[in-house]
Amino acid sequence: MRFRSVLVANRGEIAVRVVRACRELGIRTIAVYSTADRDAVHDRLGDEQVHIGPAPARRSYLNAAAVIEAALQRGAEAVHPGYGFLSEDPDFAAACAENGLTFVGPPPEVIGRFGDKAAARAAMGEAGLPILPGTGTAVEEAEARAAADDIGYPVIIKAVVGGGGRGMEIVTGPDAFAAAYRRTRETARLLFGDDRVCVERFLTAAHHIEVQVLCDDHGNAVHLGVRDCSAQRRRQKLVEESPSPVVGPELAERIAAAALRGARAAGYRGAGTFEFLLDAESRDFYFMEANCRIQVEHPVTEMVTGVDLVREQLLIAAGQPLSMRQEDVRPYGVAVECRINAEDPDRDFVPAPGPLTEFVPPGGPFVRVDTHAYPGLTVTPHYDPLIAKVICWGPDRETALDRMDRALAELRVAGPGVRTTTAFLRELIAHPLFRKGVHTTSLVDLVVAERRPQPTWSTT
Amino acid sequence: MNDQESPLDQLRRTAAALLELSPSPPSGLRLRSGDLSVEVDWAEPAPVAAVGRTAVSATVGATAEEPAAAPVAVRAPLLGTFYRAPAPEAPPFVALGDRVEVGQQIGIVESMKLMNPVESEVAGEVVEVLVADATAVEYDQALLMVATDRAGGGCAEVFGGGERP
Repeated sequence: MRFRSVLVANRGEIAVRVVRACRELGIRTIAVYSTADRDAVHDRLGDEQVHIGPAPARRSYLNAAAVIEAALQRGAEAVHPGYGFLSEDPDFAAACAENGLTFVGPPPEVIGRFGDKAAARAAMGEAGLPILPGTGTAVEEAEARAAADDIGYPVIIKAVVGGGGRGMEIVTGPDAFAAAYRRTRETARLLFGDDRVCVERFLTAAHHIEVQVLCDDHGNAVHLGVRDCSAQRRRQKLVEESPSPVVGPELAERIAAAALRGARAAGYRGAGTFEFLLDAESRDFYFMEANCRIQVEHPVTEMVTGVDLVREQLLIAAGQPLSMRQEDVRPYGVAVECRINAEDPDRDFVPAPGPLTEFVPPGGPFVRVDTHAYPGLTVTPHYDPLIAKVICWGPDRETALDRMDRALAELRVAGPGVRTTTAFLRELIAHPLFRKGVHTTSLVDLVVAERRPQPTWSTT
Repeated sequence: MNDQESPLDQLRRTAAALLELSPSPPSGLRLRSGDLSVEVDWAEPAPVAAVGRTAVSATVGATAEEPAAAPVAVRAPLLGTFYRAPAPEAPPFVALGDRVEVGQQIGIVESMKLMNPVESEVAGEVVEVLVADATAVEYDQALLMVATDRAGGGCAEVFGGGERP
């Protein structure tokens, strides 16, 4: 069966992306919007639109009751949560089921298990996935210290409930441990209201490698190769690509097999991503976390495999078997994605939203742009600053990167107060380390440091 | 309901009470909801009240002197099903031509099996009922129109309206 109607519980480019997949399947779509997005609602966002709440996300896009009520009001059969917001909230997934709605995603208990990072790490370790040596759970100072000595320096002390690159500190030697331990606990208490910390080996040079998986309700599970998301700033990915330039086919196959083993062990269903850190020196890889949602960077996988991941999500949720077997997945070429954010790279990436007086996306062969933007749209400061994703494909990496540079040069985004990451991204993908494909997760910091400091009074 | 009253609702209520004290329409009104603050300007030396919390503000410029205010909408505070009466056979909370006071209940919005009272934020006469009983409504949808007692349609729009970015 197929759904006849789906409520899209999200906004921005991913809402447009989900609506497109629905339309190609002949599914009626219901969009939801907050007051902040009221002027940006148009038919690209859904066949029907429902005003669910005021600008603050907790009263609109994060308001599970309003989203479910809207779905019931408009007769939706399923809810697609996109990414962010309610997409990895097990209570929301459970509430959908209780109200007779199909949640497009894994079962609530699977989301819950992966949402608890320590539990996920333990479960995946049991399933035979390699995990970084570490305490896994919260430890008091003496035990933490003993663990660090045992693991070997450098180690990272991080908040158990942390995220987004905050509430963590790297310790290079035993002398610095006690002070760093106390500082991290204090920071964690301030940031998250929870001062529990754990200790783990820190990889000085690492690549961020992730595996896209698809699992159905009929026992089928396939992977769609790896993505390399090493170009990130404070854990925010800026450029993603598939395959990885540092992972050969044999290693990619081993990492993907580990991801599938994890997915099967967890009883996964739907589209998911298993993230790994690859030690740049030893070439060992370690499970980090699994994301129970469609990801921002999913298009690069789509571009090399020809598989429409959102369509597969919708079909799997409707109970259909996967439309492919593992041997049908034959990636070809290289795809790269750049995230165009309304941020000012010259001022530490502060958000720079505002009205768009000009918005001209790039085009031409093998260029895909996923966006909700158009001239006249006001980029609101209330939500994430993503304006557009530019994805380019080429038969090889060099062609794909040349094409990306050309596409970014074509992209025009302007408006009062609006700055974007476009020029920074062009510098990033032109950097020799990136061009050679040997960059690690520290590349973006390096490029930021190499840029000539901009005087704050300058105007352009 | 009062548990769910937003800082903005509190501000509106406070501002409405202040406006009631004045014989003349205000020349300006500012509401802020980060650390609550209400400012009302009259053309004469202006009384100022500050109540103390987030991110919504509305400003109304001096309005032209009008003898009668334009009717103001009472809007749905959340998405759900709107009921005009407390029970299926009961008379409606308010009917066409009835007078409503600030804070008076005019209906119910049911969301996820919870009944949420809808209260008027203006005083005046109900001149139009826009939504029938047991109808699905969106957030901020106009439910009924009230002809307010005082001049100053601009202010009324502030009270009647939802948050606007």
